[in-house]
Amino acid sequence: MANGWSIFIGLAIIVAMSLAAWFFSPKGENQVLWRSSLILTFISCYLMWAITLLAQLHPMIEPRRSDIRPGFEHH
Amino acid sequence: MAPARDTPFRSADMSMVQLYISNEIGREVVNALGELGLVQFRDLNGELSAFQRAFTQDIRRLDNVERQLRFFHAQMEKAGIPLRKLDLDVDTLAAPTTSDIDELAERSQSLEQRVSSLNDSYETLKKREVELTEWRWVLREAGGFFDRAHGSVDEIRASTDNDDAPLLQDVEHNNTGPEVERSFSGMNIGFVAGVIARDRVAPFERILWRTLRGNLYMNQAEIPEPLIDPTTNEAVSKNVFVIFAHGKEILNKIRKISESMGAEVYTVDENSDLRRDQVHEVNARLNDVQHVLRNTQQTLEAELTQIARSLAAWMVLVGKEKAVYNTLNNFSYDRARRTLIAEAWCPTHDLPLIRSTLQDVTNRAGLSVPSIINEIRTNKTPPTYLKTNKFTEAFQTIVNAYGTATYQEVNPAIPVIVTFPFLFAVMFGDFGHACIMLSASLAMIYWEKPLKKVTFELFAMVYYGRYIALVMSLFSLYTGLIYNDAFSKSMTLFDSQWQWNVTAGWREGQPLTAVLKDPNYRYPFGIDWRWHGTENDLLFSNSYKMKMSIILGWAHMTYSLCFAYINARHFKKPIDIWGNFVPGMIFFQSIFGYLVVCIIYKWTVEWPGQQGPGLLNMLIYMFLQPGTLDKQLYKGQAGIQVFLLLFAVVQVPVLLFLKPFYLRWEHNRARSKGYRGIGEQSRVSALDADDEGDNGHAGNGRHSDVSDGEGVAMIAQDLDERGEHEEFEFSEVMIHQIIHTIEFCLNCVSHTASYLRLWALSLAHQQLSAVLWSMTMGPALKMNGVVGAIALVVTFTAFFCLSCIILIVMEGVSAMLHSLRLAWVESFSKFAEFGGWPFVPFSFKLLIEESEDLADYLG
Repeated sequence: MANGWSIFIGLAIIVAMSLAAWFFSPKGENQVLWRSSLILTFISCYLMWAITLLAQLHPMIEPRRSDIRPGFEHH
Repeated sequence: MAPARDTPFRSADMSMVQLYISNEIGREVVNALGELGLVQFRDLNGELSAFQRAFTQDIRRLDNVERQLRFFHAQMEKAGIPLRKLDLDVDTLAAPTTSDIDELAERSQSLEQRVSSLNDSYETLKKREVELTEWRWVLREAGGFFDRAHGSVDEIRASTDNDDAPLLQDVEHNNTGPEVERSFSGMNIGFVAGVIARDRVAPFERILWRTLRGNLYMNQAEIPEPLIDPTTNEAVSKNVFVIFAHGKEILNKIRKISESMGAEVYTVDENSDLRRDQVHEVNARLNDVQHVLRNTQQTLEAELTQIARSLAAWMVLVGKEKAVYNTLNNFSYDRARRTLIAEAWCPTHDLPLIRSTLQDVTNRAGLSVPSIINEIRTNKTPPTYLKTNKFTEAFQTIVNAYGTATYQEVNPAIPVIVTFPFLFAVMFGDFGHACIMLSASLAMIYWEKPLKKVTFELFAMVYYGRYIALVMSLFSLYTGLIYNDAFSKSMTLFDSQWQWNVTAGWREGQPLTAVLKDPNYRYPFGIDWRWHGTENDLLFSNSYKMKMSIILGWAHMTYSLCFAYINARHFKKPIDIWGNFVPGMIFFQSIFGYLVVCIIYKWTVEWPGQQGPGLLNMLIYMFLQPGTLDKQLYKGQAGIQVFLLLFAVVQVPVLLFLKPFYLRWEHNRARSKGYRGIGEQSRVSALDADDEGDNGHAGNGRHSDVSDGEGVAMIAQDLDERGEHEEFEFSEVMIHQIIHTIEFCLNCVSHTASYLRLWALSLAHQQLSAVLWSMTMGPALKMNGVVGAIALVVTFTAFFCLSCIILIVMEGVSAMLHSLRLAWVESFSKFAEFGGWPFVPFSFKLLIEESEDLADYLG
């Protein structure tokens, strides 16, 4: 379900949300505040999610542990 | 052009206005403007000292009233009468008229007299009471001596009359039995009785002994209850003494000594009947005094209680009134026209509101002369006025703590509202801790009104930042999910992308390595929980968090740098775009933008043999040996790196020289066309001649009869104290630009490195919470039975308390400080100038909030 293409799907969602934030921000003197805060929030969160996904996309090391009890090795 | 409304994006448009107010309604106008709180008056009487100003008398009178009110408050505290505090959210105070204030002044004057006369009489009575009490004690104690002494008059006489009497006669005649009462006077022995403070008894005795050479017999007794000294209101324990001595001279001497030692001497009759009468009399008088004393006390308390009801309101009224007169002192007064003239800064978009307020006041006063408000042109820098609301106030405060933004530059608080809490959350990311923090901040917001009254300073600080805490905790929830951390435990929200590679002969204790389940499936949100608790988990998370810090830092700084472009556009300085923004951006992107691209590229490519090229080495080689590569990342890498490096290096001279030389060229061009600065000599003389020709100067050197825009604008220029017309000095501009260039280039490196604190703090937070778990809850959960249950309760308490104190409060504060630094230094240095001065309007609301005197009176 999630693979390299997810980055672009996520990007599309974020762009859509940002556009929505731009157009549906409440009018008034705080409009600029709504727009900048919402869009900045979306982008920050997207960045972090995308970085995390990318870091696990082509892993160079695998998890390794030796304290697994028998019966849990397939969980 | 100017937007239709002021937005928080930049500081509000400001105008300098001149107000012409009729002298009669000056006070009312200032009052109304104080309620409005949108106008900052300029001091037009800078050359006058505080005593020479017009309304100093009124201020002095109000100072006196204020002193009286404070006196009442002190009296109330002494009498233990609670003050009814004023809650400005509930009570509103109508603007007082002049007669109200006069009445208040008179009333407090008479009240002061009354209270102080009551106080005086109370003190006199109290003194009397103490004296009588002491006397009563003396009578009682001295009476005791006498009664005892009368039993042995004979022996005393025998020993005094007959020098030859054997020393042990006392013992021999001890059992002669009581005789008929005899008088001491027959023995020519007199006595002095009185009261002295206990700590003075020893010196008193010594002095008496030395001066009288032992010719005395002193008897003393402690008064069991401490007596109150009416002058100092302190309890003093005292002793009653009776001194017997021989002869008038000696008695007089004793009296003098006791007076000089601060003892009170009282007359006591030696005859026991008379003494009894005396006691009765003293008791009766004491009763009377106490009765009167009680009455006085009651009257005083009633009076003070009456005052307590409205004292707070009076205090506020007087405070406001004083502020009004202080403001009026800044106005200049035109005697000929009986008009007050004021100059003030106010937001341009609020001018209509101010105008209508003035109109209202004039109408209400029924004056035919209108108050005039006139916008004047000036070349002075207007103050920076950033409007805030409940939500942005705290964010704006942390920005203002760094400095005041230059007039009309992009408000640095706008990006801070998101970036500050977000970067905090990157360091604080833990779902569990974020939940606790979120509930705390939501509670503070839900009980906003009642909690506002809490005066405990530490809490007030947290309360002030409740919306920051809210946003911080919301972002922390998100980053906690991304890090997959809740109290250092992982959450298995989705299927893992890993599974354990179990070989046939696997036994417990042997290491297991995971393999990818499905080459086309990756953990969709956050870090795979399979990493949790593994041996090489830090190896993975360190590399991930370090790279993330660099990318987030790059994004943050690039974003901040873009504001420099917006500022240059707004101030219409294209040279700032071409001489600062563009080369700076290119320099930054060709080094660190490239690094970020490489990081992302490396992630997107599968590395055979699981050994990718080290990016850190790549960056180092890029600088030290351009053209050589440690290990190739992509084809043509060497060439691109050499090109980027050269491209970046070329920007340095552009950054250095373009702006100063352009400014010099522009300046020279203007000079060659004949333009001169206004402050320069030739121009000034022309202006002066103009002035003298057209307009007469008023008494204080100010034009009083100009009303057209041109003339007024010239006044404002005359008054330019700040000297904002600086000569163009090439060397200064050049030095400034050199500093800017060096700073910018070095900061690109050091600031990028500085973002690694995101990694360091989030690592520390995660490790600390893991350690805390393993020291408290971990072992307790392994125990069984009753012991396990008890241990669980105990360790959970410890775990929860330590989580709150160390991981949420202490770690939170440290993450907040680091995030604050990233905002102040790394971000603001890219675009903000911070060369403004704050707009401080004349506002009663601000005045009352900031006044420390009034803080005691407000609920």
